[in-house]
Amino acid sequence: MTPGEADSTGVPVKQVTVTINGKKYPADEGEILLGVAVRNNIAIPHLCYEPSLDPYGACRLCMVGVVKHGKQEMTTSCTLRAAEGLEVVTDTPEITKHRSILFELYLAEAPKSEVIKEMAARYGVTKTRFLKKFDTTDSLGNKCVLCGLCVRACNEIMGAGAIGFINRGPYTVVNTPYFEPTKDCYGCGACVKVCPTNAVEMEDAGDTRVMKSWSTTKVPLVQCSGCKEYYAPKGLAIATLARINPSLKEEIAVLCPACRGKRIAREEILAGSGGAGNHG
Amino acid sequence: MKIASAADLETARQAGLQKLQPGKPQIAVGLATCGIAVGGNKVYERLREIIERDKLDIILTKTGCIGYCKEEPLVNITIPGKPLVILHKVTEADAEEILKQAGKGKVPEKKALCRIPSWDHVTGCKIEYGKGFIRIPLYEKVPFFEGQQKVILRDAGLINSEDIDEYIAVGGYAAAMKALTGMDSETIIKEVEKSGLRGRGGAGFPTGLKWRITRDTKADKKYIICNADEGDPGAYMNRNEMESDPHMLIEGMIIGAYAMGASEGLIYIRAEYPLAIKRLKLAIGQAREYGLLGNDILGTGFSFDIRIATGAGAFVCGESTALVASIEGRTGRPHPRPPRLTDIGGGLYGYPTDLNNVETWCNVPVIIMNGSAWYARIGAKGNTGTKVFSLVGKVDRVGLVEVPLGTTLRTIVSDIGNGGANNKKVKAVQTGGPSGGCIPFRLFDTPVDFENLNKAGSIMGSGGIVVMDEDTDMVDIARYFINFATGESCGKCVPCREGLKHALLLLNRILAKKGTQKDIETLALLSDTIVATSLCGLGQTAPNPVLTTLAYFREEYDALVKP
Repeated sequence: MTPGEADSTGVPVKQVTVTINGKKYPADEGEILLGVAVRNNIAIPHLCYEPSLDPYGACRLCMVGVVKHGKQEMTTSCTLRAAEGLEVVTDTPEITKHRSILFELYLAEAPKSEVIKEMAARYGVTKTRFLKKFDTTDSLGNKCVLCGLCVRACNEIMGAGAIGFINRGPYTVVNTPYFEPTKDCYGCGACVKVCPTNAVEMEDAGDTRVMKSWSTTKVPLVQCSGCKEYYAPKGLAIATLARINPSLKEEIAVLCPACRGKRIAREEILAGSGGAGNHG
Repeated sequence: MKIASAADLETARQAGLQKLQPGKPQIAVGLATCGIAVGGNKVYERLREIIERDKLDIILTKTGCIGYCKEEPLVNITIPGKPLVILHKVTEADAEEILKQAGKGKVPEKKALCRIPSWDHVTGCKIEYGKGFIRIPLYEKVPFFEGQQKVILRDAGLINSEDIDEYIAVGGYAAAMKALTGMDSETIIKEVEKSGLRGRGGAGFPTGLKWRITRDTKADKKYIICNADEGDPGAYMNRNEMESDPHMLIEGMIIGAYAMGASEGLIYIRAEYPLAIKRLKLAIGQAREYGLLGNDILGTGFSFDIRIATGAGAFVCGESTALVASIEGRTGRPHPRPPRLTDIGGGLYGYPTDLNNVETWCNVPVIIMNGSAWYARIGAKGNTGTKVFSLVGKVDRVGLVEVPLGTTLRTIVSDIGNGGANNKKVKAVQTGGPSGGCIPFRLFDTPVDFENLNKAGSIMGSGGIVVMDEDTDMVDIARYFINFATGESCGKCVPCREGLKHALLLLNRILAKKGTQKDIETLALLSDTIVATSLCGLGQTAPNPVLTTLAYFREEYDALVKP
């Protein structure tokens, strides 16, 4: 949503001005401050923030100092909401000090993650004083930082709940229940897409999608009757087609999106109508 | 019987007084979990066998715990016209003698801990037991009890907690009657505000203000919750409050619900407290029967009920947002505040919710009954009232201690607790459990209140005081608490999950004499970051044991590492 746009109830959102590092920026009232910063290319490191999900506040990297009565109070910008007169500063000595320690913790927790290494290096942290994790059985390849984005996307966006947190504290891992392949996985790959450290892996092998990180859960793919490519998880394709109203004609429904487009274009040309036909 | 008027309450009170002083010898065995653990049940069974066998005209009953854990099992004897006598360290073998003496209107004086000629149950009810047994020390002369002031524990160990009549006998539910029939919401909230009562769960937030915020939030429905997830190692005040006087909690919640306009209450209690759960269920059932819970309470038209939600005993579920998640059936993980529980959308099932600790609720009836001015005179300015502490660890007199806030650590540990066990020198105390800190002996003149404990680097917490003596290794203590906090971290945010793990690894290395000065520095820096950046109170306070031992016992760290 861009500033000034009406929300879903049709009521225009109030505009406010926030100050970041001394410069003023427009924002919607109640907007997540980290979002304002991202939109204006102000660098604040973050791992667990995703605009389409509720604020979570777990990675603790997006700390900013809220200026109030001449004092600064440290808080996470992904849980901070824009309000008139809000003033924050980034990269204060205090924030830098704590963030460096956090980066060291990340380097120890996800030593194989190039993303983490690069991000930490951008903030001057290239080494960690803490014992690096080394677990050869880790299905996430010692790259996971437990930001929870995959779990939340699976649960809150896809409504699948195929993966979740197992154990607690330092023993927490993400996987399927009982580390068994699960029927709840659509194979949509949202988890792969949202993972900030590229820890989640999946692979398409012929007619099957293998969720390598999630107990090798296997999801059947659907084949295009035109080009013979396997183009989408079967369950997801069926569910999506079922939602189209009026439904697609049978001979179009069995095609992949690319072939579907070609087919429709060809039909249009052959019909010579030059306008939109009815393909329902 | 439904109580619908002051006259009905008086009828129940008279019935209760009959049970409390039945006009013949009565023996009450202290059967809270602590008493049972040291054989109280066996004593009770043995007494029952003999009474049945010899067809004695002696009444046998149960009571809660008066708090002197060191002397348990405790047994009360009441002979009509004589003082109530508390016997200590009673075993099955003593049963015959106790009954023989009681039959003759006497008590086995050698077993006696103290006598109570009369007892003030604070809420306007004084029970006169009688005179005699002058060779037995008076209750108030027993050093353990001498410095204490019983307000919350006023009934504990003196009434049968499984019988609502006995609670009513000592002034119970009179405050609910007073509030519901004669006070409006604003008057009650003003009273609680003026009393200065602060949350007893550890944070010390003004209770009246929290009530006001909850009441003023507009919503179709509101909840109140009692936090009974007492999880600090060595803390068991709330357990005893619920086991020994469950109706006090229920009464406090009724008054709170009425003041805030809540129709439903929950008690979130850990499943590891089976006896407290059993007694609370029993008490809730009795209160419903008497029309003190349910529809049209006391005939006032006000409706409110309480149910119990059990938790699996995760320390983090004492945190308000995690607690609500747990009740709703989700994983007990905190979420960032706001929204707070009192906000629309923030509380239980999204409704505004007021959450107070067991002991906070327990303070309510006495404030309503005796007035805020009476209450505010107890304790110190800004820290009014009494607080129950569990005094444990390497201290001579282990037990539950109730003192006015502002009492010094010295009074609690050295006077009431009689210093170290086995004549060892006390070195420090840990207050506030794993979130608290170690306070060295030289700071024992610190008054125990919310602010002064913070200044010393510790916290009040829910009220655990663990005593350490000269033999205690302070670095090992730090490790113990960090190990606890690591295991109890929910694992959501990095500083708590990863930071505590590495703090534990560093402490292990230092204790194994493989550490360096650099490791100590890293540990200190890491601890600071965990405090500053953790998501919830668990992480923000977990490094306190490290930070305080580093501040006060640095030499013990230094002695373990290479220079």
